Amino acid sequence: MNEASTTSITTDDSFTSSAGKQLGLYTLYALLGLVAIIYMLSVAAGNTGSNVSGGAVNVERNSITITLREEPPQLDAGRATDASSFVVLAHVMEGLISYDDNDQLIPGVAERWEIREDGATFWLRDDAMWSDGQPVTAHDFEFAWKRVLDPATAAEYSFIMYSIKNAEAINQGDLPKEMLAVTATTDRILDIEFERPTPYFDKLAAFNTYFPLREDFFESTNGRYGSDADMMLYNGPYVVAEWVHGSTMLWTKNPYYWSDEKGFLDEIVTAYITQDVNAKLNLFKDGQIVDTHLVAPMLPTAMEQRWQIDRVMDGSVFFLEFNHREGRISDNLNFRKALQLAQDSSELVYKVLKEASYLPAESLFPVWIQGVEDVFRKEYPAPEHQMNLARAREHLEMARQELDLGEFPPIIFLSGDTPVSLLAAEYYQQLYKQNLGLEIRIDAQIFKQRLAKMTSGDFDIVLAGWSPDYFDALTFGDLFASWNLNNRGRYNSEEMDRHIRIAQSELDPRKRMDAFGEIQRLAYDDVVIIPMYERGWSFVVDPRLKGFKRRSVGPETDYNYAYIDVSGN
Amino acid sequence: MTDIASSEFAPLQEQKEVHAISRPSLSYWQDAWIRLKSNRRALVSLYIVIGLLLFTLAGPWIWRTDPAFQDLDQVSQPPGTNRGALVVEDYQPWFGDQFLAGEDLRLAEPGTTQAVRLQWDPLDAAGGHRVYRNIFPLGPERAYGIPLAELLDPETDYFEDRLDLKPGRYYYSVVAIGPRGELLDNFETIEVSVQQVTTVIEAVERGLVDDATELQVGDQIDLIWHPLGTDYLGRDLLARLMAGARVSLFIGIGAPFLFVLFGVVYGSMAGFIGGRTDQMMMRFADFVVALPFLLFMILFKIAFGIGPGESGVFPMLVALVVLMWPATARLVRGQILQIREQGYISASQLLGAKTSYLILRHMIPNTLGVVLVTVTFAIPSAIFTEAFLSFIGMGVAPPTPSWGSMSNEGIKTMLTTPHELIFPAMFISLTVLAFNLLGDGLRDALDARMRNTE
Repeated sequence: MNEASTTSITTDDSFTSSAGKQLGLYTLYALLGLVAIIYMLSVAAGNTGSNVSGGAVNVERNSITITLREEPPQLDAGRATDASSFVVLAHVMEGLISYDDNDQLIPGVAERWEIREDGATFWLRDDAMWSDGQPVTAHDFEFAWKRVLDPATAAEYSFIMYSIKNAEAINQGDLPKEMLAVTATTDRILDIEFERPTPYFDKLAAFNTYFPLREDFFESTNGRYGSDADMMLYNGPYVVAEWVHGSTMLWTKNPYYWSDEKGFLDEIVTAYITQDVNAKLNLFKDGQIVDTHLVAPMLPTAMEQRWQIDRVMDGSVFFLEFNHREGRISDNLNFRKALQLAQDSSELVYKVLKEASYLPAESLFPVWIQGVEDVFRKEYPAPEHQMNLARAREHLEMARQELDLGEFPPIIFLSGDTPVSLLAAEYYQQLYKQNLGLEIRIDAQIFKQRLAKMTSGDFDIVLAGWSPDYFDALTFGDLFASWNLNNRGRYNSEEMDRHIRIAQSELDPRKRMDAFGEIQRLAYDDVVIIPMYERGWSFVVDPRLKGFKRRSVGPETDYNYAYIDVSGN
Repeated sequence: MTDIASSEFAPLQEQKEVHAISRPSLSYWQDAWIRLKSNRRALVSLYIVIGLLLFTLAGPWIWRTDPAFQDLDQVSQPPGTNRGALVVEDYQPWFGDQFLAGEDLRLAEPGTTQAVRLQWDPLDAAGGHRVYRNIFPLGPERAYGIPLAELLDPETDYFEDRLDLKPGRYYYSVVAIGPRGELLDNFETIEVSVQQVTTVIEAVERGLVDDATELQVGDQIDLIWHPLGTDYLGRDLLARLMAGARVSLFIGIGAPFLFVLFGVVYGSMAGFIGGRTDQMMMRFADFVVALPFLLFMILFKIAFGIGPGESGVFPMLVALVVLMWPATARLVRGQILQIREQGYISASQLLGAKTSYLILRHMIPNTLGVVLVTVTFAIPSAIFTEAFLSFIGMGVAPPTPSWGSMSNEGIKTMLTTPHELIFPAMFISLTVLAFNLLGDGLRDALDARMRNTE
């Protein structure tokens, strides 16, 4: 019996041990297989990303790796509307005029220019070339602008050319595009007639929509212009050499570019297309990209890493815009006054948003706008604002009586879906509930949907913002003109319109700035908007890269003047 | 055949009664309860679930803080922060003090959470100044910290910092910049310790005192107590967790209960009737499985006329119930089909059992284990679905919190203020775990086949 039981135990043992061996073997196979797969995958990944240089700065190849916010839908300058396209275009194209690394206007394709009351003349340089070696001529501009205004092109930014004679009529389809008062007198001289005096035309001419386009090349692309790397002709410091849709872009130095003050790098790789700041922070930490912006919660990390943090104002102003359409509660001035008096933008910025690079906004005009001699806001200080709850409640009561309401219905507060907009929306919701007893419903929408709702007037208050298109107070000043399509709240006041007309066409800078001062005052007194904040960015740059710019007007990130310097500091 | 004489028979001796092995007769539920009680894990989970229900329903009666109230003095405070604050004068704008005594970078007045006021003498060759703030002392690498402002006018020699000041130590630096905004080499730096302060008006607004006359500048006062700290808008986390539990548990328990109930009825009908009806019913279930949940969620939201900024919790419940039942139905049908062919069913039928008896006595108890497993998995998945939908804006509308939306907000500041994520995440995990363990215990307790196998 004893013996038998021992044998049975040994058989059991040998059974378990052999099973264990088998199991161990399987585990080993599985692990080996896994290693093999990982290796194969990494090789495959390495192959597909052959032009991804690896590393933020590659000194040998004189190349850098950057991120793009999103993939440009297309790179046709005349039709581009998004920030991402603007970034790419600013590196591969050049207009008549461009900006230097200190935001001053400098000659681009035009050597010199003259702006008169009734028109302008640009003299083009001889050595400006397209990337196929042919010269850039005045005809290329004439063709490009006529095409932008052609209703068939349906360019969203066509309105920016309306100061040229007949432009608006052509864009509306009332006149043929040949009637546009832009003439290439010779290959080197471009003559323009104005619809109305436009002293700031030089600033407009630096904008993307004014970039040139060569007719023969455009025709040869058969309507696919700008859709791919070889479907475009470039005249900027870089060219798009490769464009793998949905993944990467490779910009290389343009050998035909005329100036040696721009384009010091041989290659710029846009290896990552992402808007995720956390992903970008990690990429930057790992040394995979040369720059990234930081949001408030990341600042402690940045301080811990001992990075040199930089800041820039991006030029835009964010505000609560009211719906001034008739029949809306927000059409009532006392209602708007109540909301204005019950808030303080500095509390929003300092205690809620906590962004070090933001500035509490006090006016429709941001602090950087130039006045006659000094900064506009120094010459024309913003109306003084003091939070005053007692007066706010008085105004609300007056509004309630005027509107003949027992109680205010819920207010529809349209906002974007970004973290900052949602945070601000929640703050205002509670603020107005606590201070004024108003119920606010937040309608958070993606950008396009928000724009659609703003256009159709489906809101009471909208959290909106405006980024300047050019370096002049008018880019903000004409925002609430009754005819401006971007006036989504449909604010309509004769007084405002009158001042805007002066601002548009007055040549005496003093009188013109006076008009802007009046617009600023009216925007406050009539509570067209409630300014919230002026946006800025905190950002970090790889210390080996110099000359990188984040801009307030033009491309948000600008590598045109960037170069690699490894000497340290 | 052997003859057996009657004399060979003897009357049986009277015997002692044999030791009887018996126990009191127990009903099915009594038996289940006894077995559940002996399962410690399940019992603890049961207490946790009861505790959660109390927390949700009775909590707001005890902790009477408005979950939407924003205490902007205490934004993103972890629990246990010192609440002491000094009462100071109301904030007045400050535009520097040229005659302030002292040299270099200096404070115009002691640093408070209201403002830190810095004054300096213009640095040499400065085309302007940049003011930085750091939470670490300046090291040899000269990383100055967060740039607070760029003062392009070299004559501006003061700065007031009001950005998100917390009690503690800060290191400010003023650096000279060149004409194009580039950093120059000369800088000055100062260490500032910041004290928590409040004002009389704020104290009244926040409900710390009833009457403004009770307080005077210079008094020491305790700010509002937040046992679990506050979130990114200074809202009380405990109050928000209670309010959030209502939504999360409503969806998390309500939806699974309803769709499992429907699934059981549907599945047992299909399984019991069988044949063509079964085929038809199950093909319909397959059809429902194929319907995209998110799309229907949106459709329901529109169909119910839920406008922007209104809570989408009810359509969420409907969408969950309408679309999630087929899994349970399939499972139950399979079980019923299996049980239908069991010997004891045939035996009962032979003994004349009615259909209702068969279903109630044999079929349902035998499927209960499977159903309970489904429920235990459905509850966490429903809680997660709610969290996900709240995140993409289809669920609760702000300011109503739910655990899911709170986690999604907390994750953004996970590294700096982890408590905003940890508490809601802990509640989700705890709830999910408790329901899982309880379900596990219930399955063991209710499984008819595990009866009498102690």
